Amino acid sequence: MKLYDYVLSPSCYKVRLLAALTDTTLTLRPVDFHPGKEHQSPELLTLNPAGSIPILEDGLLVLTESSAILTFIAAQNAPQWLGQDTPQMAAYVQQWLSFSHRLTTTLGSARLIEMLHGHGDLAALQHQGIAALRELEAALVQQHMKGATYLAADRMTIADIACFPYAALAPDGSVSLDPYPKIRLWMRAIRAQPGFIEMPGIHRLHELSNDPLETTNQ
Amino acid sequence: MSMPATAWWTPVALSADVPPRMVIPATLPVGPIAVWRSQSGQVTANHDRCPHRGMRLSHGFVRGEKLSCIYHGWSFGKEGGCTAIPAHPKVTPPASIHCGVMPTVEQDGLIWVASAQPDTAPPVFDQYQPLRMLNFCACIDRIKTVCDASSRDPATDTYVTATLAGFVTRLIVTPLNETETNVFILVSPDLSTDQKIAISRAAEVLRNLCERPSPEGQQT
Repeated sequence: MKLYDYVLSPSCYKVRLLAALTDTTLTLRPVDFHPGKEHQSPELLTLNPAGSIPILEDGLLVLTESSAILTFIAAQNAPQWLGQDTPQMAAYVQQWLSFSHRLTTTLGSARLIEMLHGHGDLAALQHQGIAALRELEAALVQQHMKGATYLAADRMTIADIACFPYAALAPDGSVSLDPYPKIRLWMRAIRAQPGFIEMPGIHRLHELSNDPLETTNQ
Repeated sequence: MSMPATAWWTPVALSADVPPRMVIPATLPVGPIAVWRSQSGQVTANHDRCPHRGMRLSHGFVRGEKLSCIYHGWSFGKEGGCTAIPAHPKVTPPASIHCGVMPTVEQDGLIWVASAQPDTAPPVFDQYQPLRMLNFCACIDRIKTVCDASSRDPATDTYVTATLAGFVTRLIVTPLNETETNVFILVSPDLSTDQKIAISRAAEVLRNLCERPSPEGQQT
């Protein structure tokens, strides 16, 4: 499987993260998204007329929406990540996959403006992003009351992968995550997963590794 | 008016939202703080500023009984003194490298912090337990008006009574600045999960009401 990838893209990171957590091997093909705008080059537009990344190529299969790519990787290598135990769980996963696009178009667009010279009404995008984060927080509060840490189940599914990166990178678009204690706990649980990988702005939990100073002094 | 900011307790988080080995950001009237729980369970509050390069310590991490800065790994103990500088592993940090620690009390599921030692303990809320914390983009007076100011406890001035989803709840309202207020919702401990969910949802609606412009115009 070949992933057309950009290191600063939260949507590409979703794919890399799920691959890492499910022992899926990806061949990365870096795309010069900024400043080169390679995603709008003839080569990539041939693959994806929408001119967006990520793009996943597997033989003749070409997928251009991150939620579809997550579904494909999970179905192929780790079906439990699809969250299909019950009709309710399956529906919740779909609900959050759809919701994740709102995070992309609000917080993600604010981030593009703040980081990569994107265009748009920053204040309005931030306002809509805060509304989305409040929904996420409220849903996680309810999950905690039911004894679950994650969005669709008591284990991680592709729903969590889909919503995690743009929520975690909200501060890149100057939207604070300080007011959301349950989002903080949820992100921490995701970052504690065995095999978790980082992207710029989302680091691993240093508290889970040994103190290198203490190791040196021994 | 509210109590003097320098000597009164501010609720900053639910105990359950700060598990061991975790640091979170919070706000006191005097400024931002980092609240963290050590591996053994003790809660500490520091100024949210590393004395080295000014990085927010709430971006850092907790190992064992120490809070470390994410930037260069300087570590601080529960008394606020710097315990280790990774770039100089053989140096014992001088006592002058210190990150201010504030009085902290954990009581009935809430973490309270004060910027100086108050004369009295934080208020006790018998028969109530914290449900969740929400951030309202509304001033404290607006919240009191929407919740009906007459139900506010005049004796203590520490909470507002609100009926949410048919249940009597108490709201601890803590202003962060002119326009933002943290609201801690306290409920009876006997509620079912469904009832707690209903209250949580009603609290979201209350927030929407408080954030709408008031009919009489902005009163602050």
